[in-house]
Amino acid sequence: MKNGFLVFLASFVVLGGSWCGFVLAPVLQLGGQQQTTILNSSDVYPVGRPGEANQGLQVYRANGCAACHTEQIQQEGVACDVVLTSVGKNPLAVTNAISGLKLTGLDSVAASAAVDSINAAGGKAEIHINATGPDITRGWGLRHSVAEDFLYDDPVQLGSVRIGPDLADVGTRRPDANWQLLHLYAPQSVVNGSAMPPFRYLFRVQNIGGEPSPDALNLPKGFAPPAGYEVVPTAKARELAAYLLSLQADVPLHDAPFTQPPAVSKP
Amino acid sequence: MSDEMKSSSPQTSGTEPSVSHSTVPIWIIVLTLVLLFLGMVYFDHHSGWFDAQVYGPYASTEELELYQPKSGEAALLARGKAHYDQVCGLCHGVDGLGKPGQAPPLAGSEWVNTKGFERLTHIPLAGVSGQLSVKGQMWSLSMPAMGAAMSDDDLAGVLSYIRNSWGNKGGPVTADEVKAARAALGAHPLPMSGDQMSKMPE
Repeated sequence: MKNGFLVFLASFVVLGGSWCGFVLAPVLQLGGQQQTTILNSSDVYPVGRPGEANQGLQVYRANGCAACHTEQIQQEGVACDVVLTSVGKNPLAVTNAISGLKLTGLDSVAASAAVDSINAAGGKAEIHINATGPDITRGWGLRHSVAEDFLYDDPVQLGSVRIGPDLADVGTRRPDANWQLLHLYAPQSVVNGSAMPPFRYLFRVQNIGGEPSPDALNLPKGFAPPAGYEVVPTAKARELAAYLLSLQADVPLHDAPFTQPPAVSKP
Repeated sequence: MSDEMKSSSPQTSGTEPSVSHSTVPIWIIVLTLVLLFLGMVYFDHHSGWFDAQVYGPYASTEELELYQPKSGEAALLARGKAHYDQVCGLCHGVDGLGKPGQAPPLAGSEWVNTKGFERLTHIPLAGVSGQLSVKGQMWSLSMPAMGAAMSDDDLAGVLSYIRNSWGNKGGPVTADEVKAARAALGAHPLPMSGDQMSKMPE
């Protein structure tokens, strides 16, 4: 072959270059990820999944959930709200101070300035930091996903198609394992007009022998099996539900700061 | 320009077209440099220098720092509540009302609502042993030094939290003040009795 060495060299440079870009650079950037601490707390994040949930990750993978669901919350912006916590001794001065101010949807500098002017009038105020963006508005999470969220995922299943909702924070949104099981067996029984196919083969429809099983699903009319039968989740269904409950991206971190709303604060 | 165009344009008839040398037009070089410059400006504003902590919408570590919850009083109290609920709340209750026969209440307690906090700081650092009167009731206590293992920041948060919750009105306690109290007590302080505590300054 003419110029064989040159052809080899050129293809080596092209492949080596893309390897550096697609493999080496991301590993250098994010390869050393470790547990981190939650903001204003000494708790670490993330903690490993319990064994059942960890097996559920493989069920999630085997059933191709990632074909229709993503596990990545996007955030477009950040907005600060100034919340008055105390009017102090001179409420009139504080009222005057805030009357001309914009108190929501500020950037960090404007929010600090607003707090300073409230403090000068003798009141006290806090800055609440909120993520903004379509995903946040839909209630899919409180902040964007970060690399730490996937520390214990093997493989990481980010997904790229959103036929169904994003699941990165589904464990916070739907913390009830029974709801998850009902939804897996008959999605339309809990979500009207859901496009999700039922995963009935993860369940067993069995004859009620003596006592009904304590695990049997409590299905609404139209979805329940004929009289004398019950629907019992198999180990796989339970693992998948445990995995879904373990998907919780609900704590503020240094790389994704936000102010936790008091209603969602966990025990 | 016109000369170059002529020399590189294919012949209209007869001979095969041929390649000859010509210089790169200067406008292409300028355009390339301008695009390179704009690319570098964009990189500077949006890359976060490939820092693993910087995600969009933040453009740099400096901007990310601006949006960290302020390490002011609110952050101190939030931190204090997290630790109180985990460590102290088991006996003193997450509502600060205590547990009959075991732990006296902190809500409205004269030992908490003090002007100073030197004595209060010593309680979690050294522990309490023996008789102690709280809100007119006599308690026989044996409280271990629960705060000895906490960091200065965490203990300052807990003390600030109990002094500002459940109707209590006391000032915040800073980490430096906890550090000073810890140093004054020494490595292995003995638990204090109620008598000793009443003799201490607030």
